[in-house]
Amino acid sequence: MSEKRQQVSRRQFLNYTLTGVGGFMAAGMLAPMVRFAIDPALQASSKGDFKAVEDVENITEEPTRIDWEIDQVDAWYESTVTKTAWVYKDENGDIVALSPICKHLGCMVTWAGNDDYPDQFYCPCHDGRYYKSGENVPNTPPPEGLDFYEYKIEDGTLLLGPTKPRGEA
Amino acid sequence: MQWNKQDLDQYFTAEEYIDTLLIPLIPITFTNQKEMEKSAAQQETGMIFVREMEKHFKGRIFLLPAYHYLASGDLGAEVSRLNEWAAKANERPFKHVFFFSFDPHWKKQERNLNGTLLWMPAIQTEDTQSKETQSIIKDQVNQLTGLIKTYW
Ligand code: FES
Repeated sequence: MSEKRQQVSRRQFLNYTLTGVGGFMAAGMLAPMVRFAIDPALQASSKGDFKAVEDVENITEEPTRIDWEIDQVDAWYESTVTKTAWVYKDENGDIVALSPICKHLGCMVTWAGNDDYPDQFYCPCHDGRYYKSGENVPNTPPPEGLDFYEYKIEDGTLLLGPTKPRGEA
Repeated sequence: MQWNKQDLDQYFTAEEYIDTLLIPLIPITFTNQKEMEKSAAQQETGMIFVREMEKHFKGRIFLLPAYHYLASGDLGAEVSRLNEWAAKANERPFKHVFFFSFDPHWKKQERNLNGTLLWMPAIQTEDTQSKETQSIIKDQVNQLTGLIKTYW
């Protein structure tokens, strides 16, 4: 709900500052400072938001791709962004939700994306590979394992939040 | 990678890996409302296509800002200009150049382009946000990315 309020205040902010050419130029000069100093709401608001993506009982031990949408707001644009995760239950029944973004240079990896490695994640760009756990396979380009999504379970539903790198896990 | 400062910073740490250049070709016309709307819609959908491709292959594809030109049945003059672009780009270690367009007139020039033309018929749609359109686009993007892979 607080998002709604922020939207309004941002719009007002734009209306005020962008009135007339002078205002426009001032906005250009001030923008970097304004963004950080005045309104924290102008920073990417997707941080920390959790979204319900799937019923936990539908999740199997086979990594499955889940897509969902979030609203992303930065200083000038508001947009709907599609997020993707590879989700499965590990042998203890715990949820694992991995980011598809290759840690080498950012292509999208897919589970079993290469017939030669049916139980690994595969990056088509430079043949990067990851084990099911998301750890990178040594001697392939990625320098580290895939990021995890933070998750919560509420009433049998899986909610996914921001990603965090392995180092901080 | 896209044409912005942040991506360029990353590009220069790994230039040799990003060997594929993608240039969207987008016609603009001023003839009448119908044609202008069509051209605007094509540019909207076209940009969704190329951005999705870039998202899949961020670490290997460099997406240039769109190349706009006046819609015309004869794109000969544009071809030589584009080939100049491709030649300049090849001063960087790009190995593949792809041009993406919905404009069928490029088909006639395909042989003369120094790069690979990714052409497909425009999808007629009122609403790029609708679930239906989204899944059509996703499907076509998958086919395109699959096609690009065969060139690597
Ligand atoms: S971007 Fe995945 S291996 Fe290079």
